[in-house]
Amino acid sequence: MFEHVEAFYRPATIREALRLLRAGNGEARIVAGGTDVIVDADRSIRFLIDITNAGLTYIRRDKGTYRIGATTTMAEIEDSPKLRSMANGLLNQAAATCGSVQNRNLATIGGNLAHGSPAADTVTALLALDALVVIASERGQREVPIADYLAGPHKGLLTEITIPAPPAGKRTGWSFQKLGRTAIDVALVNVAAGFQLDARSRVKWAKIALGSAAPTPVRAVQAEQILTGRLLDTNAIGEAAEAVTKSINPITDVRATSAYRRQMSSVLTARALHECAAQAGVSK
Amino acid sequence: MTTMELRFTLNGTPLAWEIGPGDLLLDVLRREGYYGVKRGCEKGECGACTILLDGKPVNACMVFAAQAEGRAIITIEGLAHDGELDPLQIAFLDRGAVQCGFCSGGMLLSARALLNHNPDPTEAEVREALGGNLCRCTGYIKAIEAVLDVAARREATK
Repeated sequence: MFEHVEAFYRPATIREALRLLRAGNGEARIVAGGTDVIVDADRSIRFLIDITNAGLTYIRRDKGTYRIGATTTMAEIEDSPKLRSMANGLLNQAAATCGSVQNRNLATIGGNLAHGSPAADTVTALLALDALVVIASERGQREVPIADYLAGPHKGLLTEITIPAPPAGKRTGWSFQKLGRTAIDVALVNVAAGFQLDARSRVKWAKIALGSAAPTPVRAVQAEQILTGRLLDTNAIGEAAEAVTKSINPITDVRATSAYRRQMSSVLTARALHECAAQAGVSK
Repeated sequence: MTTMELRFTLNGTPLAWEIGPGDLLLDVLRREGYYGVKRGCEKGECGACTILLDGKPVNACMVFAAQAEGRAIITIEGLAHDGELDPLQIAFLDRGAVQCGFCSGGMLLSARALLNHNPDPTEAEVREALGGNLCRCTGYIKAIEAVLDVAARREATK
């Protein structure tokens, strides 16, 4: 395995990791949890740069912003009381569905994003949460909205995910839904949704994101617009669930057909919105 | 071929091994004779190579050996103490939870990590904890019962 690897580096700082990455001249690969790098088994790798000692494992809240270090594992996110108090634990729930216990003890949130899989469960949740991604380069660091990050290749090292604290309160609801063949399978479709209601049960804002339904996780903008300003009832949920299919473009692969993913996108969206409604205190 | 030194603790004993920088932990453990760490899918899906890394179950096929530097590893060879089987091993025998045995080592370590962290799990929590250990003999029920037996016995002797 990886017989061409000449050196395994464990830099203690981001700066050192970036220097090694540049020196690797395209033949170095960043590794954290390893669960993607090892499965990909790219035999052209000559240098491995393990960033799990570079101080990027943390979950913090400063004032109105949550900050998650890129090498924080799924298990750490799943168990974090701090995150459980954000968006009713949406990110904890998404992390808890990312494969088996064994994989969640290794896999990191930075890796889930950087690997670029359309089915990455935490990425769908982060997209619904309007997260930002911090990318470090030798010239400094920049913060890009997650939607821009997903749109593109980005040079540099993903070091942190920041999440502006979403509005809390009893009239908000959040839900993560995932469909897989088994409890530890890759998502056929996943949905993260949240909204807040005003005193008259009208939707102040709504956020709906879907994964495994397009080349990257996507926001269902039309569906969000249908809900915004509307009295939240079964009809509104039904129309929004129908409308998510306008934002997606699912493929047929070994796991599911495009038509099935399309249909299940609506089903899971409706489930998510009903769960949000229950949390927001709407009786059916 | 480049080599590097790996210093870590294996089943309670501090060790220094020579490894290659691209070696996977699964390959290194088996090369050194720890055959209880089974080579299954090598894709992080079957759990046959489960070990405890600083007390947490991980698949040894998904870890570069160099990442074990300074850490404590338990393999199935280290679960018994001074010839005394772990209560989970006894319960697996009592329940007939072992068929071909290929998944048993990994399953036992996943179960040990669960009970260390949550001594009185529900059946759903046991199922969740063992969800990453696939049994080709399909013998899940008796393993789940064995783990619940150990938890119940501990409750009874409290």
